[in-house]
Amino acid sequence: MRGVVAIAQNTVREVIRQRMVLVLALFGVGLVAASQVLSPLALGEGRKVVTDFGLAGSSLLATLLVVVLGSSLLHKELERRTIYAVMAKPIRRSEFLLGKFCGLWITAAALIAGMFAIVLGVVTVSYGETPWLVLGAMALTVLELGVITAIVVFFSSFTTPALTAFFAAATIVAGNFADDLLYFGSQGAAPWVARATEAVYWMLPHLTVFNARGAVVHGIAVAPERLAFAAAYGLLYLMALLIVAGAIFERREFR
Amino acid sequence: MRGWGGMVVAVVLAAALIALSGMVDRADRARRGAAAREELLYYPSGVWVRQATLGYETAAADLAWLRGIQYYGEHRLSDQRYDMIGHVMNIVTDLDPRFTQPYVFGAFVMSQELGQPQRGLELMEKGMRANPEDWKLAFETGFLHYVGTHDHAAAARYFARASALPGHPEYAERFAAFAAQRAGDRDMAILLWKRVEATGNKYMQEVARRELRRLGDGAEG
Amino acid sequence: MSTIQDTAHRSGATALGGRGIHAVPTMPILSLEGLRKTYRDPMTLKPFTAVDEVTLELERGEIFGLLGPNGAGKTTTIKLLLGLARPTAGRVLLEGREPREPASRSKLGYLPENPCFYDHLTPLEYLDLTGALFGIAPAIRRRRASDLLERLGLGAHARKALRKFSKGMTQRVGLAQALMNEPRLLILDEPMSGLDPVGRSEVKALLREQRAAGVTVLMSSHVLAETEPICNRVGIMKQGRLVEVGTVSTLLQSGVREWEVAVEGMSDAVAAPFRAGGHDVERIGSRSVVRVRNGDSLQDVLRQMLQAGIHVHSVEPRRETLEEHFVRVLDGRTVARGGRS
Repeated sequence: MRGVVAIAQNTVREVIRQRMVLVLALFGVGLVAASQVLSPLALGEGRKVVTDFGLAGSSLLATLLVVVLGSSLLHKELERRTIYAVMAKPIRRSEFLLGKFCGLWITAAALIAGMFAIVLGVVTVSYGETPWLVLGAMALTVLELGVITAIVVFFSSFTTPALTAFFAAATIVAGNFADDLLYFGSQGAAPWVARATEAVYWMLPHLTVFNARGAVVHGIAVAPERLAFAAAYGLLYLMALLIVAGAIFERREFR
Repeated sequence: MRGWGGMVVAVVLAAALIALSGMVDRADRARRGAAAREELLYYPSGVWVRQATLGYETAAADLAWLRGIQYYGEHRLSDQRYDMIGHVMNIVTDLDPRFTQPYVFGAFVMSQELGQPQRGLELMEKGMRANPEDWKLAFETGFLHYVGTHDHAAAARYFARASALPGHPEYAERFAAFAAQRAGDRDMAILLWKRVEATGNKYMQEVARRELRRLGDGAEG
Repeated sequence: MSTIQDTAHRSGATALGGRGIHAVPTMPILSLEGLRKTYRDPMTLKPFTAVDEVTLELERGEIFGLLGPNGAGKTTTIKLLLGLARPTAGRVLLEGREPREPASRSKLGYLPENPCFYDHLTPLEYLDLTGALFGIAPAIRRRRASDLLERLGLGAHARKALRKFSKGMTQRVGLAQALMNEPRLLILDEPMSGLDPVGRSEVKALLREQRAAGVTVLMSSHVLAETEPICNRVGIMKQGRLVEVGTVSTLLQSGVREWEVAVEGMSDAVAAPFRAGGHDVERIGSRSVVRVRNGDSLQDVLRQMLQAGIHVHSVEPRRETLEEHFVRVLDGRTVARGGRS
């Protein structure tokens, strides 16, 4: 476990020292600028617009960060052979993978927290009221990012960065369309197509479980049981992915 | 994950994941059923537009809302034709059904600018179906009946509904009573428009001032 | 009490009942048995053997040089014994443990070939990470890290980002991280590469120091001059095979000696009979060098020269250097097998 912590720490440091502070700063500036520009145009709905854009932007940026940085994080170690020196230490490969996952997830969560703080700050200053309810959406977004990080780590355990980014993006899109997939599959296609789409439907992450942005913006709180359900589903899903990824990575040859 | 203990843990985890996936599946199917019904009632495209936003539907609704207002503003300065406003507000409310302002704004433009109060009322009905607990939508529907279709009985019904919903202001009850008594057309209308002038957005305020002038009570303010 | 139990346990394990506390297990620190690694070319799917039937045991406290040209299979062998690659056949034991067990690497230090460490860290941070991975307590690893950086001449650069490091400096950081856990076995892949002559002699001193402390060292190299003076034993790899293993002196004893007879003013006519006798004659200015291949004919050659009135300047026996031996081994016994390019 100490190996996992050390690797996670190092991963957080790596990402932070690269670009994260810049991303956060740009986001803050962008949000403040957007709220100044858009509010007067929104016919009194400026607060909703700023909150919507803030939540969507932070989740989108964090997802982008995880997919872009995550897809090359493992490959870079193999390419530059930094992993050789690390794997000569008494640590399992699955621990290394878990450390990378934790580091990336923690970084993404920190980014989300930072951006939500900016949203709360901007809305409070501009409209005199703090929309605390968005914290419920934040918790769900952090869980969603855990699943997305696990997806990225899973694909990167056996394929190239470009393919990892592609597969991860495809899975995220499909994860938002999971129920439609079932619908298409059932529309008069051949039975094996229906069965195949059904199988894919069951394997895909149902990312809609983690989306409460639309609710909190309209003042509807995220119920504790919804949060508990999402946490259970998200954690189980990402664990399943990490176990498979770990098994693949244990068997991988380093050239 | 070695030995029997690991196997048992793995099996339990897998079972739990499948069970939770089953619950998600049921929720998906329920939503799919509701969506399919709504699809038949309204637009064949609405639900698909919503899916295409990949979970960012409220932000997409805001963009459509901003575009709709821009459309209204542009045409107000030029040809005063607002044919597309109903379509735009329908998209906005498909994307974000809890966003109430577009129902009201769209309905008023259709009723007062296009002279199609019936289309405006349809949009309000859609809003009330999606937000049955929202007093404001019920109140504005009553308003539209009063000044648009001049159906005072219906107006009284909606004002009364608004005054029964949580969070309603005390004037909702007064309006219900006025309407029920079939208060003089002009007095009631002036009251209603004055309230809009005091509380609405800038476009609505302009509409209210124009209506008040038309009713001979434009000297306000 | 614990000492007695400990002793009993150890003596039980080694079946050496009466030897007391110093009954050290006879288990070799590193053993390779019939190790083979076959890769498949990802495009053509043609298999090629990078390491072929390598069997080797390291003795405690020796410095073993694994020699061979680039592509001979040295790095692959090292990867196999670290568990970075899995053998196709045969096995590796690190003090009796398989490399796949993390514990097998707890007393192992490894310097990769052309090492590359995390750009975003400073040497101090990197050594701290290394220490953490070894499970060394924070206070101890901090002290060890600064001591090692000082010892390797990086004290002034301890807080500089690794991305700004030259090849030689990176190599020193690599040595420092390999020594963080006070290893019993050091595996160094081309430790001298990238170092200037001063750096090389420092590393040699460091390795002798480690040997004196009882550390076993396996180092690979394709440059012989740097290994010859410090290695107790060397193994020569060629096309994946370990073709020769032995101490430097044994390997060279089997080499052919020759004598260089330097003479003054020998005309070509006079030199002709020597050439005819199978000896090389080389002219360098007014001097000529006659290379005599064996001791028996040396007497004849010298007698003929004196009789011909040639002034013999010097007679020098020449041993084969390891370098020449190496080249000869690689040129000579060609193994009929496809090697890795």
